[in-house]
Amino acid sequence: MKKQLTRYLPIILFCLVLLAINGCRITFVPAYDTQVATQIDETAKTVDKFYLSMLETTTVEDSTRSYALFMDQYVSIEAELNSLFIKNKIRPLNQNSTRICEITLQLWQKYKEEHKKKNKLSNGLIKLNQKTFSDLFYAMQVAESGKKIIDNPPK
Amino acid sequence: MSLDINKVIADMLAAIKGTVVDKHEKVESIAKQFLIQNKETLLLIAELRISGELDDEDFKSRMEDQKLVLEAQFNALQVISKAIAQQAANAAIDVLEKAIITVVKGVL
Repeated sequence: MKKQLTRYLPIILFCLVLLAINGCRITFVPAYDTQVATQIDETAKTVDKFYLSMLETTTVEDSTRSYALFMDQYVSIEAELNSLFIKNKIRPLNQNSTRICEITLQLWQKYKEEHKKKNKLSNGLIKLNQKTFSDLFYAMQVAESGKKIIDNPPK
Repeated sequence: MSLDINKVIADMLAAIKGTVVDKHEKVESIAKQFLIQNKETLLLIAELRISGELDDEDFKSRMEDQKLVLEAQFNALQVISKAIAQQAANAAIDVLEKAIITVVKGVL
């Protein structure tokens, strides 16, 4: 291992010298995007409010929780998630954030279909859905704010 | 004036170490937060299975969903790791760049 490293060290150094001379910078992740971060925050709040109001204002026993009454909100939130997915997808070197958005969108569509098919949703399932999306949005926010690291040099 | 490559390499390593050590705690605290979140969700899934709100099929389906959440969390940690690697590599290049500029100025 050490022998191999010694063998490749001049090549690595040569590459680094070339990069340094040209004033080049290595890039693994895109820059932090305030607009995307704000949209993640807003969408997370909308989803949270969606489930909290469903839990507080409706019951599983009557028809107040039927899918039709929530269809517009489902569609509106799906459109927001689609928008976030596309905004992330077009940014270069952004595969990780794109995948997080894709998973969130996939589960949103899945839970929407479940509600539509059964036309009911228990309190426990509302809490579970709310928790799942809260965790996913947290991951999304961590990924976006993680990009700030490249703008903050170590002290 | 010549380039003291051993000193430059030592300085580059120090720059890399400084960057990585500085961000280590951040990665650790986020990973711990993810673990706490997963524990809470798994407990909730177990409660719903026990209470009968989830049948066998739904339970399996929710466990599969939890794997996707875990995948999302790993992706988030990867972004942070990549950002740290980027900052460390560029800090090392900065050190090398400064050393070369100093030598070139000395020669001229």
